[in-house]
Amino acid sequence: MKGDRRVLVTGLGVLSNLGDSPEELFRNLCEQRSSLRPADTSGPTALPPIQVSRIDDFDAGAYLGKSNLRPLDRISRLVTVAAHLALKGAGWEADALSETEVGLVLSTVLAGIHTIGEFDRRALIAGPSYVKPMDFANTVLNAPAGQAAIYHKLRGVNATVAGGTMGGLAAVVYGVDLIRNGNAEAVLAGGADELSPESLHGLYRAGLLAGSNGTPGRPVPFDAGRNGFVPGEAAVLLMLEEAGAARRRGARGLAEISGYGTSFDPGRGRDARGATAVIRAIELALSDADADPGSVGAIASSANGSVLGDRSEAAGIAAALGAEAERVPVTAIQSMLGDTLAASGPLGVLTLIEALRGGTLPGIRGLEEVEPDFLLARATAESQPVERDAGLVTAIGLGGGAAAVYVSRRDA
Amino acid sequence: MNRQRVVITGIGVVTPLGTGREDFWAKILLGHCAFQPVSSFDTEGLPVSQGAEIRDFDPTSFGFSLDADSMGRASQLAVAASRLAIKDARLAIEDLDPSRLGVAMGTTSGEPLEIERYDDLEVAGELDRLDGRFISLYPCHMIAVHVAADLALTGPVDMIPTACAAGNYAIARAFDLVRSGRTDAVLAGGADCFSRITYRGFARLGAIAPEVCQPFDRDRKGMIPGEGAGVLVLEPLERALERGAPIYAEVLGYGLSCDAHHMTGAHPDGPARAMRRALASSSRAPEDVDYISAHGTGTPTNDRIESEAVKRVFGESARRIPISSIKSMIGHTMGAASAIEAAACTLAVACNLVPPTMNFKTPDPECDLDCVPNSAREHPVEVAMNNAYAFGGNNASVLFGKYKP
Repeated sequence: MKGDRRVLVTGLGVLSNLGDSPEELFRNLCEQRSSLRPADTSGPTALPPIQVSRIDDFDAGAYLGKSNLRPLDRISRLVTVAAHLALKGAGWEADALSETEVGLVLSTVLAGIHTIGEFDRRALIAGPSYVKPMDFANTVLNAPAGQAAIYHKLRGVNATVAGGTMGGLAAVVYGVDLIRNGNAEAVLAGGADELSPESLHGLYRAGLLAGSNGTPGRPVPFDAGRNGFVPGEAAVLLMLEEAGAARRRGARGLAEISGYGTSFDPGRGRDARGATAVIRAIELALSDADADPGSVGAIASSANGSVLGDRSEAAGIAAALGAEAERVPVTAIQSMLGDTLAASGPLGVLTLIEALRGGTLPGIRGLEEVEPDFLLARATAESQPVERDAGLVTAIGLGGGAAAVYVSRRDA
Repeated sequence: MNRQRVVITGIGVVTPLGTGREDFWAKILLGHCAFQPVSSFDTEGLPVSQGAEIRDFDPTSFGFSLDADSMGRASQLAVAASRLAIKDARLAIEDLDPSRLGVAMGTTSGEPLEIERYDDLEVAGELDRLDGRFISLYPCHMIAVHVAADLALTGPVDMIPTACAAGNYAIARAFDLVRSGRTDAVLAGGADCFSRITYRGFARLGAIAPEVCQPFDRDRKGMIPGEGAGVLVLEPLERALERGAPIYAEVLGYGLSCDAHHMTGAHPDGPARAMRRALASSSRAPEDVDYISAHGTGTPTNDRIESEAVKRVFGESARRIPISSIKSMIGHTMGAASAIEAAACTLAVACNLVPPTMNFKTPDPECDLDCVPNSAREHPVEVAMNNAYAFGGNNASVLFGKYKP
């Protein structure tokens, strides 16, 4: 099924509220820093005081210079900067880039929802002849990936993949398959979402946010008192390269994506079938990597403080690991960064890679008491040692998907 | 690597011109056109008003297991087309392992009617009335989710919103999911619903024709936006033979590429690379291709650039290969377009009939190809190529071939 083309991660590009390099972000995660702040709830309709994690001071020009940025809306700029950082981190020089068809696979849950809404509202308020053609180009859901490819001249396969909050891992899976199938030698893969009034209102109205029922928000993964999540924003791209091509280029491998599994839960998170989807995703990932639960040294999960979602993920992880669940440290970074939607899974990959390389997995900020029946003995507030060379990233999606990616440490 | 051969065993389409394989194909071969004044919103203030809407779509008539009201219109179109495809394939999914069944769907706009409702509320100062379901209905991945949930599948579910090339991307993804042995069947296609955002945007770009869509004509004036869904059942050949399924065609391969040139402006390099890659991955030469389903939007630029790209790839043989655009009949159904066109390619291969390009009057020296003007044609089709191009410079070509043991 897998063939002999191995997929290495040779670079990581990240824009987050806790750092714009993997090292800075990881240090802040290990120090349990939180980026959650009260939301700016001024605007057309007042929201109650809720928390968000928004990158308030983002300036694409500081990374890229001022030219050629005008056609890009904010989400496209986040993606374009993340791509810049990943390419730079992986040591791609302009000459090599122009000779290679580098691909880009991006996941996003809401794409340019604010641009889309503004375009439509301008037509409603001012009239349809007042909308701007450039804004329309940014209303298509593949605009962020398209804009980043144009900016960086990435002529390889360009795809946008959506899967809710598991979509970021779906993009990594799609990128891995492009390399395994021989469609690409080098692919940027990851996810991005931005906070917007539209997403904030939508999430609040759906009752998904911590504190949206008037009680104090407790967006703590796996905690017995959790009551919803905090929306965040980030852009993360992994530079994936075929091992041989990376070696010929002289690129270093930080880690290998050795296996993956995806599955769907037709109950869409409402019942025990949610855990079944997670179990199947993990089992497929282990099998794809020719690995067993005993080889798993750490897990970065997508748990975000949701009452039902965390239950599915906890039950799925515990069941898939069996007796090993007693031993394996499990973390979730969402009480520090918020749920960054499509960026969440790739942020988990970044966290796991840094943990495998540094030997320490960040703890779960704010965790006081793990929900008693979750059977995750090693989900803790404190950082924990990582004693294996591999681990799993898990994610479930708003809507019913589950994904798991098996990551092995590489020092080449 | 041990690769499975992949065949198409079911076709489901919901289009402005007809629903279901037989109705759709009959009207395509007769050259019917679906263009009418837009009825779903007010086109006042725009210089154009023609569209290709589906007027008589009743989601309750397809046997959904989910409540049709629990999903957006694009999802309804996708689930309806999926149900039709499964029926057409005589696939008894309840007897199969649900974890070996997958979905790969494409779209341009996802569920735009949901954000339009949001915008109406905001403009009216009534955002406090926003439906709690907005955030669970709107994200585009819900189209694939609704298909999978309606059919209670538990395998891989992928949503690929690569705009107007999305249907081909989804078929390519499904092809990989089947040939790698990961699945026993995948529902692959695309869906989009009629949206004022899309319509006004294309109108502002000057890309919509005032009356008809006439691809490759010297006096072509643009596309006619439409809506719909197309879904194909892709299966490993062995399983299809085992269960005695109808085999319409084999999926031979695909090619994807990116222009990295301009968000909305086309460029011949990217499309040419996608076509070449599709031929190479299918182990076919340009002269093996008997029919090309063009992206063929009917905009002045697209058809000129696409003709140039086809000539670059096919050289001398370009002029003798029939190349037509069914957008001249059903309009541009956006993310569904290449999925519905894949259905047409599949039927062209199965029936040795090539769909026409309608509304063609005056040849364009820059599009000097055989566009099958105004009437369908009997023509042996061993291999058909389906082209699709999108905003963002996302290009996808897929090759279909006659099934031979």
